[in-house]
Amino acid sequence: MGSDLIEIGINTAKLLVIFLMMVQIVPLLVWVERRGSAFIQNRFGPNRVGPLGLTQLLADAVKFLFKEEFVPDKNRRFLFYAAPVVALIPGALAFAAIPLSIPIEIDIMGKSYKFLFQGYEVGIGIVFVLGVSSLGAYALLMAGYGSNNKYSMFGALRASAQMISYELALGLSLVGILLVFNTFDFQQIIDSQLTNFVFMGTETALPNWGILYQPLGFILFVVAVFAETNRLPFDLPEAESELVAGYHTEYGGIKMNMFYIGEYGHMLVASALIVTFYFGGYDPIFWTPGELVATYGNVMAALLLHVVFLTKVGLFLWIFIWVRWTLPRFRYDQLMDLGWKTMLPWALANTIITAVVAFWLRA
Amino acid sequence: MSVEVALFYGLSFLIIYFGLGVLMNPNPIKAAFNLVLTMVGVAGVFFHLQAGFLGGVQLAVYAGAVMVLFVMVLMLFDLEKERDAFSEGFLGNALKLISVGLVVSLVINSVLLSSDLQSAKGPGATVVKDAEITKKLADLIFTEYIFAFEILGVLLLLVAIGAVAISRIKGGTHANS
Amino acid sequence: MESLIPVLVLTLIVIGFGVFLVVVSSKLGPKTKPSALKQESYECGIEVQESGSSKIPIKFYLTAILFILFDIEIIFMYPWAITFTDSITGGYGLQVLIAMGIFLFIFIIGLFWEVKSKALEWE
Repeated sequence: MGSDLIEIGINTAKLLVIFLMMVQIVPLLVWVERRGSAFIQNRFGPNRVGPLGLTQLLADAVKFLFKEEFVPDKNRRFLFYAAPVVALIPGALAFAAIPLSIPIEIDIMGKSYKFLFQGYEVGIGIVFVLGVSSLGAYALLMAGYGSNNKYSMFGALRASAQMISYELALGLSLVGILLVFNTFDFQQIIDSQLTNFVFMGTETALPNWGILYQPLGFILFVVAVFAETNRLPFDLPEAESELVAGYHTEYGGIKMNMFYIGEYGHMLVASALIVTFYFGGYDPIFWTPGELVATYGNVMAALLLHVVFLTKVGLFLWIFIWVRWTLPRFRYDQLMDLGWKTMLPWALANTIITAVVAFWLRA
Repeated sequence: MSVEVALFYGLSFLIIYFGLGVLMNPNPIKAAFNLVLTMVGVAGVFFHLQAGFLGGVQLAVYAGAVMVLFVMVLMLFDLEKERDAFSEGFLGNALKLISVGLVVSLVINSVLLSSDLQSAKGPGATVVKDAEITKKLADLIFTEYIFAFEILGVLLLLVAIGAVAISRIKGGTHANS
Repeated sequence: MESLIPVLVLTLIVIGFGVFLVVVSSKLGPKTKPSALKQESYECGIEVQESGSSKIPIKFYLTAILFILFDIEIIFMYPWAITFTDSITGGYGLQVLIAMGIFLFIFIIGLFWEVKSKALEWE
């Protein structure tokens, strides 16, 4: 983790900050979601507590902590308690592997250090993120089994069946990205998107973003991550007209809130991945990171690029919320049909077309 | 003892601990969750030994896919009955441990005897980056082992057909209960 | 390996945070005497008909096993995808493309057969 105490300390603090960033975004997103849904449905939403209702979040957090605890009367307590904790892990581990800005190089006490603007660098980034997020199904299965309630159980089973069905389309739509960029490493993927798009030998003003190479892959990826995060229109696991509240029927207070942190963490990871693969990561479009470093210095430039990255991620987070309040829920057979009979063939077609075009252009 | 070695032993200890959990836990679903943790530990060892791609595959395929299947299959059955049939107590656990130990030692010994693993140790082994290992893996698959690779595709197709056929069978021991 | 330690540290941080929240909320919340009626599983107000682990449709099993098979096939495409450009510049791109073409052809046969045999139908 580092060669001396300063480096180890800062790297550990970085991990903590990135995790708290993920936790912190939840109340903010809940507020945006409630105000946004109110705006879409011509209501007011929370506007009483504090300016624009912003301190409603704090009140909610305190209220969650002081709720009476409920545990179903069965000998499955350990799984019941462990499930919300496990729900936090995949999102946090995946988010820390994504580069959020350029590395910072600074001198501390006469020694120069280089700190990456990400939790840790994993050489096989994409495979790592896919592997870690495939563990997300266990939190739901543990919650479903630990609750000892048939609504929870069916919610968990539906959720995991849905997650694994769309994981196929998700994994396959990424093969196109791998064919274009030839690497698993997020940093290299972002680096090769920083130049301008070259079309037929002439350089255009467009940025060299992945979406220009993989438009179909982008659509498939976005649909697949919507299903992976169990958001509407794919929120069958918690379809309240059929399953009460799905896998968290028996949960209340802070434990239910932890499932929310997990869900919004997944949304955050999904948005960050979309931005990294298809929208150039922290690419500021009109300048290159090198120019920014020359003008503003390393630390300031890194922070500016981080703001660029967060803006792009925020845009996609808003799209997640927007879609939730626009589209109705699928029926379960429609959901499985879409995953297996529409997404998977199209993802295959995308792979084949990309491979043939790559061969034709590069041979 | 360096950090690297300590990490390796720590991970190995966790793997063995959760492996014992798989054997000793009377509840099949809890045993399956222990097996998930064992798989995650093995993935950690792969990462630790610089085989990042294999670690990722271990996570995505074994921990993520195979174990989801296991847990789902266990949920197919009424577990309260299976629990009564499970042997507990000192003698039962000892028997299980001894039989598993015998099988595992057989496997390990056969691997050790049949391969030249011993010669791969030592300072001659060079450290390479994850990406290069993955590229080497791909080169081997598409040159030397290309036939095995294609046959694997056919094998997976056969398994898919078999799984569908089994799911269609009506009757059997659980038909009436 | 250098990158495994921070992953483990972050896992510990997350677990610590989660356990802390669960413990704190169970200490802070009001306590009432547990009663049999209260501890019962939620079932929309009626008495519990059956426990949580009742049997589930075999479709879930089929979905999971088909997922494993296709997942393995997709994982095999990953090393192929990142080395494809290298193989083209190395001069054996066509061979690799055809090899993957055959593999994908078998994959598509499998998918087509699954759809035809109605194994993926949910009602």
